[in-house]
Amino acid sequence: MALPMTPEGPRNQGTGEKLQQALLADLDSGFADVVHAYEPVLYAVALRLSRRPADAEDLSAEAFLHAYRALRGYDAERISALALRPWLLTILRNITRNAARDAARRPDPPPAFEPAEQLTTAPSVEQQVEQRDVARELGAVLAALPEIQRTAVVLRHVIGLPTSEVAEVLGCPDGTAKSHIWRGLRRLRALLTEQPDTSLLTSERTVR
Amino acid sequence: MMNDLQAVETALAGLSAPAAPRLADRIFGSWLAAPSRLGEVFVAFTGDGVQFLRSAESVGDDAGAFAEAYRDRFGRPLRQVDRAPAGLLTALCGTPAASLRLDLRGLSDFERDVLTATRRIPAGQTRPYGWIAREAGRPRAVRAVGSVLGRNPVPLLIPCHRVVRADGRLGDYMFGPAHKAELLRAEQVKTEELTAPATIAAQRIQRAQRGNRCVDNPAEPAECG
Repeated sequence: MALPMTPEGPRNQGTGEKLQQALLADLDSGFADVVHAYEPVLYAVALRLSRRPADAEDLSAEAFLHAYRALRGYDAERISALALRPWLLTILRNITRNAARDAARRPDPPPAFEPAEQLTTAPSVEQQVEQRDVARELGAVLAALPEIQRTAVVLRHVIGLPTSEVAEVLGCPDGTAKSHIWRGLRRLRALLTEQPDTSLLTSERTVR
Repeated sequence: MMNDLQAVETALAGLSAPAAPRLADRIFGSWLAAPSRLGEVFVAFTGDGVQFLRSAESVGDDAGAFAEAYRDRFGRPLRQVDRAPAGLLTALCGTPAASLRLDLRGLSDFERDVLTATRRIPAGQTRPYGWIAREAGRPRAVRAVGSVLGRNPVPLLIPCHRVVRADGRLGDYMFGPAHKAELLRAEQVKTEELTAPATIAAQRIQRAQRGNRCVDNPAEPAECG
């Protein structure tokens, strides 16, 4: 998967639990651990959900602040019962939707799908260009999806969450989440094949 | 022609992961303890400037109580740091610093106007509450000015101790009128310019202050040099 930094992956189930213990011991220092553990995931999702990549940082920071304010009012039992990652992603989704609604009432922002990518390995220049093109193209067509499909596709296929967790974030049954993912993928394929200059789906190249 | 959704899935999974910014800097407030003209103070700030200041004395020398008051008011987690923002330490000791930035987000327009007007009062001078009300554009809101100053997030840095009653009495101060009189005296405010009741009050306060180690003991490490 593209993002191996999700702490609740199958190999380290205990991370969420450790973080809850840290929150219960000291909310502020525990919360620093929570931010550290989940900021890559929240930022990556925000980057793909928001129309402007420049907003991703604001949106994910805002989501963490909302989460902190909520946690202050939760008792130990409620904190222990929290599934942190889907809970944080649900907050992020709501904030992103509200921001999009507010933005819709204002004049259009300048079009911006600039790649904010910073590759961790060092691929060739050609590969870098290619990956940037793919990212830009995908970013553009993702933005054209209905919100629920975009969220479903990003969580399942960009972030690599299990379908059950996607369903939790969307607040729907697993089957419905699957259907949103599937429809989103079909719509993406349609949009990509419509594009005149698409290198993504007309050649045999795989993107890795 | 592509019939397989697999290619789309692969492309999505291949979207490279950008390095996440350090969000903690934007989420957490920072705090430290510092010496000031009021003895030790606790100060909280963000990347945008100083947000909150309380004297250690006013929170029972309990940094935890200060942190809790900050969280209640600003809804942010706090972490302790070593480094003070530019201009803070000199400003706490009475030298205004142009580099000192204040983070006054989250205040109403009126609150901000009151605090901005108050910030303009130079050391060695005082202004009545009514003057601030006029400067803030609401000349009749004299009492409201008092409440805003009573909640001043950054006393000393915004010198609410320089706002006095129209009849010359010093009026209230969030850390107590004794400290107000003490700060004004240190700024060479001529007490004869204030009317008799204020002078009497100031003298009474002065007497009450004698023996207060925060004021009289220059060796106290929490004091400004």
